[in-house]
Amino acid sequence: MEAIQRTVKYEADLSPQFSEEIRHLPGGETLWHCIQCGLCSASCPLSIYMDYTPRRIMAMTREGFKEEVLQSKTIWLCASCYACTVFCPQQVEITHIMYHLKQMAIREKRYPRNFPIPVLAREFSTWVRNHGRVSEFWVVFRTWRKIAIGRLLRMIPQGLKLMRLRRLPISVHSIRQRRQLKKLLAQMNGGA
Amino acid sequence: MKQGNGTVPRIGVYVCHCGTNIAGNVDVKAVVDFASKLPGVVVAREYKYMCSDPGQSLIKNDIREKNLNRVIVASCSPHLHEHTFRHATLEGGQNPYLFHMVNIREQVSWVTEDKMSATEKAKALVEAAVYRVRYHEALETKEVPVNPDVLIIGGGIAGITAALTLANAGKKVYLVERDYSIGGHMAKFDKTFPTLDCASCILTPKMTAVKDHPNIHLFTYSEILEIDGYVGNFTARILKKPRYVIEDRCIGCYVCVEHCVYKTPKFPSEFDEGLGLRKPVFIPFPQAVPLIAAIDPETCIEFKSHRCKKTCQEACRDLVGRDAIDFTQREEVVEVQVGAIIVATGFKTFDARRIPEYGYGRYPNVYTSLEIERLVNSSGPTGGEIVMRDGRKPRRVGIIHCVGSRDRNFNPWCSRVCCMYSLKLAHLVRERTGAEVYNFYIDIRTPGKGYEEFYEKLMQEGVHFIRGKVAEVTDWTITPEETGKLVIRVEDSLVGVVRRIPVDMVILSVGLEPRDDAEEVRRQLNISCSSEGWFLERHPKLAPVSTFTDGIFIAGACQGPKDIPDTVAQAGAAAAEALALIDRGSVELEPNIAVIDEQKCSGCHVCIALCPYSAIAFNEEKNVAVINEALCKGCGVCVGTCPSKAITQQLFTDEELLAEIEGVLLV
Ligand SMILES: Cc1cc2nc3c(=O)[nH]c(=O)nc-3n(C[C@H](O)[C@H](O)[C@H](O)COP(=O)(O)OP(=O)(O)OC[C@H]3O[C@@H](n4cnc5c(N)ncnc54)[C@H](O)[C@@H]3O)c2cc1C
Ligand code: SF4
Ligand code: SF4
Repeated sequence: MEAIQRTVKYEADLSPQFSEEIRHLPGGETLWHCIQCGLCSASCPLSIYMDYTPRRIMAMTREGFKEEVLQSKTIWLCASCYACTVFCPQQVEITHIMYHLKQMAIREKRYPRNFPIPVLAREFSTWVRNHGRVSEFWVVFRTWRKIAIGRLLRMIPQGLKLMRLRRLPISVHSIRQRRQLKKLLAQMNGGA
Repeated sequence: MKQGNGTVPRIGVYVCHCGTNIAGNVDVKAVVDFASKLPGVVVAREYKYMCSDPGQSLIKNDIREKNLNRVIVASCSPHLHEHTFRHATLEGGQNPYLFHMVNIREQVSWVTEDKMSATEKAKALVEAAVYRVRYHEALETKEVPVNPDVLIIGGGIAGITAALTLANAGKKVYLVERDYSIGGHMAKFDKTFPTLDCASCILTPKMTAVKDHPNIHLFTYSEILEIDGYVGNFTARILKKPRYVIEDRCIGCYVCVEHCVYKTPKFPSEFDEGLGLRKPVFIPFPQAVPLIAAIDPETCIEFKSHRCKKTCQEACRDLVGRDAIDFTQREEVVEVQVGAIIVATGFKTFDARRIPEYGYGRYPNVYTSLEIERLVNSSGPTGGEIVMRDGRKPRRVGIIHCVGSRDRNFNPWCSRVCCMYSLKLAHLVRERTGAEVYNFYIDIRTPGKGYEEFYEKLMQEGVHFIRGKVAEVTDWTITPEETGKLVIRVEDSLVGVVRRIPVDMVILSVGLEPRDDAEEVRRQLNISCSSEGWFLERHPKLAPVSTFTDGIFIAGACQGPKDIPDTVAQAGAAAAEALALIDRGSVELEPNIAVIDEQKCSGCHVCIALCPYSAIAFNEEKNVAVINEALCKGCGVCVGTCPSKAITQQLFTDEELLAEIEGVLLV
């Protein structure tokens, strides 16, 4: 039997700065209109797989449950379909808030380590930033190496088949003006 | 300094703290110091609450002791206290129109964040007033008698209550109802929350009392065409639409209905929300007041082809001997004079088709609450039996709350009655069918005497309460127990999971909305609406049934969503306000009207055509235009257009306005 753990939350466990930070991001202030009606959860096509329903993510974010929110699978399961945002009676920018949470989770390296979606997102964006385009082989390889080496080994036969059909080139293609791309991306991220 | 009307101005300036309302954001002392140095100011003071008795005494004493002949109070909105301070000025011994009010609360402290700029703005407004009051003159108010009769628009429970109260006090009432019968929404209900008393048992006696009361003149199937005049002296033009049945001949015996060429009812009954059928000649419901038949020209054969056998007319003439049916009846316009008007036009329900996810109009077993009210009604289309459109009895029923309410995509407000009527319907459905009933709610709101107890009773009856706003009603089924049912998809937000709940029948608890013609009625009466479209009360707490137009009062759900107890209370209050006005016998008219200088008038007629209130006539003998003081509303249109500058508006003369502008720019 697993050891019983305390579930009570002390104020010290929470992070008011976290909710303040979200409030100041575009669309973040709409979170303070949420009336916890659950329409987002009920209209979400993926909520049936989520560890916390979108409504709970909204409540937890507002109250500063930083650890739980950033480590939740919910934000990574969000498919950005915007169903919740369209139906929300309080016009909360739920999908935008999900994006903010994803970005924050990556930045603070708090995402669930062996959950494929955040790792894939990270590898994908790193590769694009460096090369200007993706290479399926390398992105898949690096992602699975991080999540589950065993799975990667079991993929070898299928990978070889695809390579033989020239569907999975190993060579790296990059775009020409990579420096300009970097500048562009830096500009978009606020000159950083 | 320039002088206004010859007398040397001796001005008193009083700056109010309004507790911290003003003082919290305006440096009151700085404003007073500033004011005391302005030309003509004899005394400048500050006080915590100028409207209080000691505050007013300051003004009265200063007028007497310092010989003030102008008074300025810088405080809240003139809507609130202009009258108070004019009165204080009068009691101090000066003409009340030598007073002027400056609003440094709504227009300064409440809306300016920075204390420095708030103080500067307050100073500028005070200086403007100091310059302006020089030109003020003593003005006389005019007293006019109040007509003791009252017009009530809308014959729902609000209009009925107000009419009976006034009539019982001996006042003559004209009650104008647009529909064929009075009763409004309440006439459609079977039971009313929270006591579950039978709606028609408590409403019908009142409706009959209206019809029988010697002091009430009832106009049904009628509308207001036009309202003219002012407090105490309104003229209303009422349009009586033809019902093709002569009212005082019809005895409501149904013989015409029975003898209509249509052997069975064929057209959807408006009163039954389309769930029942009626003939082209019909009586809307058995308790209708007046109990008079009507013919609907849209569905009557005679009106469409002129080739009907008119068996209804024949039966009325030959079998009943009343000969009440008249296919040639025309509309009629009646003019009445009244002193006060009560508006009680009620609400309409939200159109559920606007939320396609809930399937109303697409799935026959999705109903609105108003339809269910008819379905559970013992005089409704099924005699009170709850059967669905497909003839089955429901075994599982879902009631969705807040349809169109508390939703920024539709109406942001809470409709206030839906939680309670949903509980009522849940109880009635469960009692009569034994079905499993699910309520889907965001919050249960039961603030009212006996309301929370009713909610508890429902929980004990085994009704399910699921906290979550429904996303979708669908016939797309997944599991075997869902087959043939409608599935409600919702997050059970107390458990934290999304659920699919199969039901046979869905009831949509539609919210309350202003009527479609509310804006038109508002314009006819020259009253205001809130941004949502509800008629606006003069003060949300202290003047809840008055409007910004004197002599016009509001009652019931036209002012905002409310249940029957609140509606009845408000209707009583509106009747009392109307009584107070009538029994005072006369009203004083504000002297802010336009006056024509006969010396300057060139007789060009321009103003006459432009006056929206037809208040200007032409004196052929003197060849000048003349303004009727009682009709002039002081809108200023003629003042602005007169090419000879012969017209001035009292309290808003050119000198006063220019001086005010000069003052505001000087700081
Ligand atoms: C489904 C449902 C169930 C409800 N159940 C309950 C309950 O159980 N208990 C309870 O306390 N409350 C209940 N309510 C609330 C109740 O209906 C209202 O409180 C009440 O009807 C308000 O009365 P009213 O006279 O202001 O308006 P209305 O009932 O709307 O009456 C207004 C009248 O004015 C007439 N009118 C409108 N415009 C004009 C015009 N321009 N000229 C002339 N006439 C006009 C209309 O034809 C109508 O007869 C329920 C509401 C709904 C929707
Ligand atoms: S739908 Fe909107 S208001 Fe409702 S719980 Fe979700 S975010 Fe909050
Ligand atoms: S945007 Fe994300 S959270 Fe919203 S409904 Fe779609 S998947 Fe669910």
